[in-house]
Amino acid sequence: MIRFEQVAKRYPGGHDALIDLSFTVAAGEMVFVTGHSGAGKSTLLKLLSLVERPTRGSVHVDDVDLARVRRRRVPQVRRGIGMVFQDHRLLMDRSVFDNVALPLVIAGAPRAEAAKRVRAALDKVGLLAREKAAPTLLSAGEQQRVGIARAIVGKPPLIIADEPTGNLDPQLSVGIMQLFAEFAQVGTACWSPATTCT
Amino acid sequence: MNVRRRPPRRSAPEATPPKRPRAPRPSAGARLGRWRDHHLYGLLSSLGRLAVRPLATVLTVTVLGVALALPLLLQAALDNLRAFSGGLREAREITVFLDPDVGAAAAAEIAAGWRGRPDVAEVIVRTPEQGLAEFRQLSGFSEAIGVLDSNPLPSVLVVAPAGAAADGSDGALIAAIEADRRVDLVQHDAAWRRRLTAIMTLGERAAIALAALFGLATLLVVGNTVRLDVQSRAEEIAIMQLMGASDGFVRRPFLYAGLWYGLLGAVVAILIALAMHLALRDPLAQLIASYGGQLTVRGVAPTALLATLAGGAALGWLGAWIASTRQLRRTA
Repeated sequence: MIRFEQVAKRYPGGHDALIDLSFTVAAGEMVFVTGHSGAGKSTLLKLLSLVERPTRGSVHVDDVDLARVRRRRVPQVRRGIGMVFQDHRLLMDRSVFDNVALPLVIAGAPRAEAAKRVRAALDKVGLLAREKAAPTLLSAGEQQRVGIARAIVGKPPLIIADEPTGNLDPQLSVGIMQLFAEFAQVGTACWSPATTCT
Repeated sequence: MNVRRRPPRRSAPEATPPKRPRAPRPSAGARLGRWRDHHLYGLLSSLGRLAVRPLATVLTVTVLGVALALPLLLQAALDNLRAFSGGLREAREITVFLDPDVGAAAAAEIAAGWRGRPDVAEVIVRTPEQGLAEFRQLSGFSEAIGVLDSNPLPSVLVVAPAGAAADGSDGALIAAIEADRRVDLVQHDAAWRRRLTAIMTLGERAAIALAALFGLATLLVVGNTVRLDVQSRAEEIAIMQLMGASDGFVRRPFLYAGLWYGLLGAVVAILIALAMHLALRDPLAQLIASYGGQLTVRGVAPTALLATLAGGAALGWLGAWIASTRQLRRTA
């Protein structure tokens, strides 16, 4: 599913974020990446989502060499990745429903089907009753779960979560990690750099 | 940095999870539906963005309206001037005032002589008596004229040049008439006509130049508004791009917003032009009437209105396209 081969990333200015990194992740596997701040966890994410390109080596996702993906095709690659961010990155001027529907709107899913899938995703994270609420009215844990619903609504083969439980209390963290474990069971690779994960 | 993994649980007998089949290429109908949905999304979210900040939108649209109204008004003014001058342009005839001491018989003789010229189509003789009667009818001076003990008017010959001569080519004929000693004054419209033509040409050029200038202003106003809008939505754009939104998807609401700005600006411009027409119509009609004209004041031509709408929309779209494309290149 994911294959890194001797990947190095040097940022302009000479800072080496990654040096000679090789590993593979299989489909259905759940992986935690831990490390101190500045270890290069976020760089890994940026390479996978094509925000950054490696200085050396190659990254394959689903047998696609990301180095060969041109700028125009980048959106298509990103549609295959569900991303969860530490700071949620929700659109605060849209309802919970619209936030979760965003990946489907972008992918151009038919509206009736999209509504069904959005409700299914919200049901999964236990927020079906809040679909009309504005994200600002939700608690931090609820906002994080909206972010997770948004990541899974398109049923992507890969979910990346960047410290998804970083801002949550241990009880909520357990609940969210259980959610990811469930997704892994249905064949989605989960990729979760998180310093707080054990 | 450590990588910890939990191997996939396998509930099914197969060794590896089934590989996801690639999504088949969507049918034409599905693609059309997606295209329609994407445009509907852009259209609605652009309207939402304008409605969120009504005051800013009204200000922008008013500025655009004023900018687009000025060339429209100048065009309307030129249309009126052209219609007004149309009657004058056709008048090619040369009015010749003879010396007051040239009698009616001599006048007829001169007219006969000129009729023989190849470049003269017709010569009409107006005797002093006819002139006096005409003068009495036209002007309000009939009582004053009655006080005069003799007719002060000279004989007048009205010469119609022959042939479809171009502007100013009656010069030779006019020179010949002016050379005649019995002629006191030659009045012809050619010189005035030339001047009018020059003024009209100048006006039309000025209208084009002004339209180009204010079109540029429209482009800049929309471009700057959209640029600020893109900047204030940088976070939203970044999120959408991470979710896999294409440049086109991100740009579309801004393009629609530019289109609305341009269209609404054009509507405001048309309203301004109509208001100006209503305000100026009656005073202008009175002014024309006082010169004995029977022209009605024209409003803005329907084609000019359509052109303003189309031009405003196109400029708005273009301005938004330039601004959003520049900004997207920066963020991508």
